[in-house]
Amino acid sequence: MAPTPQNNGCRGVAGAAAAAAPFRSGRRAFLRRLAWGASGAVLLPGLLQACGRGPKGTSGAGGGRGGELVISTFPLYIDPGQPGAPGSVERFQRETGIQLRYLEDINDVRQFFARIQPQLAAGRPLSQDLVVLTGWMAQRLIALGWLDPLPLEQVPNARNLIPSLRNPAWDPQQRYSLPWQSGIAGIAYNIKATGRELRGIDDLFDPALKGRVSALLEMRDTMGLLMLADAQDITRPTWATAQSSFERLEKARRDGQIRRFTGNDYQNDLLSGNLAACMGWSGDVAQLALEQPELRFVVPESGGVLWADVMVMPRGSRHHREVAQWLNWVYDPVEAARIAAAVQYISPVEGVQQVLAKTPATAALARNPLMFPDAAEQQRLHIFGPLSDAEEARWDERFARITEG
Amino acid sequence: MRRQPTPWREPRRPGGQRRLWPLWLLAPGLLWLLGLYVLPLLALVPLSLSQPLSRFGLETVFTGRVANYLEVLQAYGPILARSGGYAVVATALGLLLAYPLACVIRFRGGRWQPLLIGLVVLPSLSSYLVRAIAWTSLLGDQGPVLALVSALGLTGPLDALGVLRDGRLLNTATAVIIGLTNNLLPFLVLPLVVAMERIDPRLLEAAADLHAAPWRCFAQVVWPLSRPGLAAGILLSLIPAAGDLVNPLILGGPNERMIANTIENLLLVQMQAPRAAALTLVLMALITVAVLLQLRGRGLEELPLP
Repeated sequence: MAPTPQNNGCRGVAGAAAAAAPFRSGRRAFLRRLAWGASGAVLLPGLLQACGRGPKGTSGAGGGRGGELVISTFPLYIDPGQPGAPGSVERFQRETGIQLRYLEDINDVRQFFARIQPQLAAGRPLSQDLVVLTGWMAQRLIALGWLDPLPLEQVPNARNLIPSLRNPAWDPQQRYSLPWQSGIAGIAYNIKATGRELRGIDDLFDPALKGRVSALLEMRDTMGLLMLADAQDITRPTWATAQSSFERLEKARRDGQIRRFTGNDYQNDLLSGNLAACMGWSGDVAQLALEQPELRFVVPESGGVLWADVMVMPRGSRHHREVAQWLNWVYDPVEAARIAAAVQYISPVEGVQQVLAKTPATAALARNPLMFPDAAEQQRLHIFGPLSDAEEARWDERFARITEG
Repeated sequence: MRRQPTPWREPRRPGGQRRLWPLWLLAPGLLWLLGLYVLPLLALVPLSLSQPLSRFGLETVFTGRVANYLEVLQAYGPILARSGGYAVVATALGLLLAYPLACVIRFRGGRWQPLLIGLVVLPSLSSYLVRAIAWTSLLGDQGPVLALVSALGLTGPLDALGVLRDGRLLNTATAVIIGLTNNLLPFLVLPLVVAMERIDPRLLEAAADLHAAPWRCFAQVVWPLSRPGLAAGILLSLIPAAGDLVNPLILGGPNERMIANTIENLLLVQMQAPRAAALTLVLMALITVAVLLQLRGRGLEELPLP
């Protein structure tokens, strides 16, 4: 089925980007990624942050001093500034005069939730005015009443949102969320290590790849891919239809077929040759392939999982006007095209494809089916449906028993 | 009236104020322990017997639910056992490395002794997170260690022994134990060196004069006299190793998770604070028992803590 508005996309850790000139990733990007892997991919910082209050650099419920706009998001999820070519953050500040603190401090949405939970539960505002979160987490926050509606009446460019991401079931009037980027969970592999093209999820369970395969810690992506391979409908996931996928995953973990469960850190393992194949995210692999042409990304025959990360405004956020200006800025097709060219995910902004096609340097990206899936490709992408609180708790526990041994 | 300036030399005068002053010196440490260790630990007790009120709220309600303990023991008992096992193996391996090192530093170090001790401590100056990540490049599938193993033709035999898994080292129990051993080595070497400092070198000369072979000299002189250092070293290494979070996370795979990973996941991902608290208290209780067993019948003065 086509990606319906019933969007519940997911993703644990964003990654990608860090291209030098927009389209060339290089050694620097790789080093940045390694540094990020070293500092962020590990749960420890999250654990420590969970004990603290606000985001790094702030303390307590205050923060957001004066007219400063504070955004928390995943690392490497925007076009970075280069000497002589300022990135989006810098250009936004320069053109609007708004002080923007752009914090790339979300490593894992679940840990970020643990961090913000004490303040939001107590009714205190966060220091962030805007947060980029995975769809299902936004859904949770909306249900808890911990978000404020976005000032969309001041965001004329919001009309550029592509139709397939409009009005998700959990935010039917698009009051609380606006997509940042969307993408596909599928299979990444190194053709030299596998010795053949991979086509489906079953290939990850090939004994020839034993111990050189990883799956994602993001439950909805891993389970979604497995359930699709099991011919189940992931738009309406149930405990019963997931059982055989859980069992398959558990057995593969016990047998050592699956070496690790990863967030963003599968990238390092793919590059260093520890993994032959893994579950991964489309934009990441597009970037990595520039460094190592043997890397491929494929949407499995049985279908891929479509997710979206969305921008939301935590309850009590000040600076609505500045938030509106930021949203309007990133929904301008020209600005959105710069971001899309760097991160190579699916841009939620209409018109980005045309902007990219106009410039010779980016024309190839405009034809990239992973960034701009055509109708036929969209048929193969599915959105993981909602889980009730009780169901989610049960799923989380079962999944943790598999990923945490 | 002027007071004598040396009050501590007057044991016969039980001036209340003077008797209290050692307590004042202790106060910062005691307050620290009380506020940051004892109280949080005590707070875990009611929490571990509670139930969450809602899935995403922070409130829990005390219900005296002992079943939390039974559930975590049943579900995570094997992981507890694994954590203990890894800690014991890593400590044993560490001792195999630490004894010769400590002997060399103490008896052959000479004027290089401070430098050698510095070299032992040097790795600890970098974050243990960074060290674990460094091991991933050494132990990786394309890394130098496996290249050496395969050049020596040892891949098959080591695989059969269970040291390697499917010909790989990273994300196996071996890698976790290597990482743990690396971390605890200084904590074993330093107490041993301190303990050996107390051994009179003339005893070794005497042993040699009496025609004791070097191993016998070690077994009958160095080993018994360094036992207090051994006890201290084991205490200092076993406990942190059993509760390690980073090495299993980075060097292990899902089959090598240790108890700290489970607690972290219970608390932050599954939002089951009461069960996380129960598991934490079980771990603390086990560690306390281990410490008591270790210290049984020993005075602290016997432990040459560095």
